[in-house]
Amino acid sequence: MKKLITAPLLDREEIGAGYHVLTFDAPDSPAAAPGQFLMMRATSWGDAPLLPRPMSYLSGGDKPQVLIKVIGEGTARMATAQPGEEYSLLGPLGKTWPESTLGKTPILVAGGVGVAPLVFLARRFQAQGVQPVVLYGGRTDQDLPLSDLLDSIADLHVTTEDGSRGDKGRVTGPLMSMLNDSVEIFTCGPDRMMAAVATIAQERQVPCQASLEAPMACGFGVCLGCPVMKTSGEYLYTCVDGPCVNAADIDWNADQ
Amino acid sequence: MKQSITIGSAELSNPVLTASGTFGYGLEFQEFFDVGRLGAICTKGLSLEPRLGNRPTRIAETPAGMLNAIGLANVGVEAFCTEKLPKLQDQGVTVVANIFASTTKDFVAIAERLARESGVLALELNVSCPNVSEGGIEFGKNPNMCAELTAATKAATDTPIWVKMSPEAPSIIAVAQACEDAGAEAITAINTIRGMRIDIAKRQPVLARGMGGFSGPSLKPVALRIVYELAASIGIPIIAIGGISTTEDALEFLFAGASAIQVGTASFIDPLAAHHVRVGIENYCEAHQLNASDLIGLAQAAKK
Repeated sequence: MKKLITAPLLDREEIGAGYHVLTFDAPDSPAAAPGQFLMMRATSWGDAPLLPRPMSYLSGGDKPQVLIKVIGEGTARMATAQPGEEYSLLGPLGKTWPESTLGKTPILVAGGVGVAPLVFLARRFQAQGVQPVVLYGGRTDQDLPLSDLLDSIADLHVTTEDGSRGDKGRVTGPLMSMLNDSVEIFTCGPDRMMAAVATIAQERQVPCQASLEAPMACGFGVCLGCPVMKTSGEYLYTCVDGPCVNAADIDWNADQ
Repeated sequence: MKQSITIGSAELSNPVLTASGTFGYGLEFQEFFDVGRLGAICTKGLSLEPRLGNRPTRIAETPAGMLNAIGLANVGVEAFCTEKLPKLQDQGVTVVANIFASTTKDFVAIAERLARESGVLALELNVSCPNVSEGGIEFGKNPNMCAELTAATKAATDTPIWVKMSPEAPSIIAVAQACEDAGAEAITAINTIRGMRIDIAKRQPVLARGMGGFSGPSLKPVALRIVYELAASIGIPIIAIGGISTTEDALEFLFAGASAIQVGTASFIDPLAAHHVRVGIENYCEAHQLNASDLIGLAQAAKK
């Protein structure tokens, strides 16, 4: 059950190219599952930046972790946060990744900072004795945070658009060659990447789960800031109906 | 000390409410605190039919504030009455129904539907939504239209009518006085002010609708000035709203002449904000040996 807690930052590790892993000392943190997220902001922010930031759990437990990339004012402040700085953490929020289908090989397709909920998922697979395949794409070898960690727990395949690491190109190339009746896909990354992955999955009739991202103010279904259009013509709200959704339910061509 | 407050014919257990559009249907907050302890909650704006709302992007952050262009996405009055209201009543939550329509006829139809239910303390007429293309703010800018709407809605129900003001009316005082004359029991002030942001990289507005309603702490001085002016000009109670996050914010509005306050955007940042404000006012009253009703208008120059 979700809970609002105040917790000090235990550690901030800069892992290059504007990416940081933040670890909190939160013994009273409720248990979070892979795919869920939290809303976070430092107490010291006062009234600006005003809103808490949604971040996927990189790991749960009493020392929850998030992966951040410096994008705007909130993440810029997180990137200079010092141990001991107090944060308010509201979580766990949203729908988890569903359990995998028995006997199917999971293929995790990641892009950029979207790797966080997939690392958490890969750890769950590892604990279940399943080795997932991870397809990880970036523009350059600078855009592949936590790839070493993934290499140790999964069968990792890397693609970069400039060819600086792994196969040159995008994740969709190798993905096509891996699809058959005994695989299923879990994806998180930029919308365009997820849309391409979802389209391929649908064409090949492979089950595909996606973790959505949208701006939101509250994280628990109240501000209504995070709608995503479904194929049914209705909106789902990323915070409570997602972030993990069946990719086939999403209208990936909608203006969103 | 006594925390109860009288708003026209309605009695509230305390002066702290939550603002429409920032508190869902109230049920979303029960995990955090006992919502029944608040003076009341104002529902998300209810329309005659369900509304999908605007396409994204719907929200954007501003310095100490935010913009929203939700477009009154809501379940519709029928689903509210059958699915939400019974649960709220079970949990002892005092409910103010915020209602929205683009015509007087539809406002009346919503009021009639709600009149068939028990457990709605008041109707708050949303005549000030900046985020829809019809109705909304056009009603709120015009004293005559607002008065006619107030009278028509009042005739359709025994439930007290409150009217939520737009800060963009040429004369808010004229609109509020017209509503008072037409039988409104309270004035809620203020709704959001229209604002916008532009995405430098894309060279286009951040919000899909271009502009949206500006709310949050940075709105507070404007709201406070309007409440202060209204309090000196109308005879019915004012329910203040606009950037209230803390007990101190709430006290400023009560001293300015408001009889009650609504916590809005602050509930996004801290779901317990309204609870903290309620407890804070109670503590202030104990420390100063004043009833909550004694706080109203203490800063009005006329009283000096």
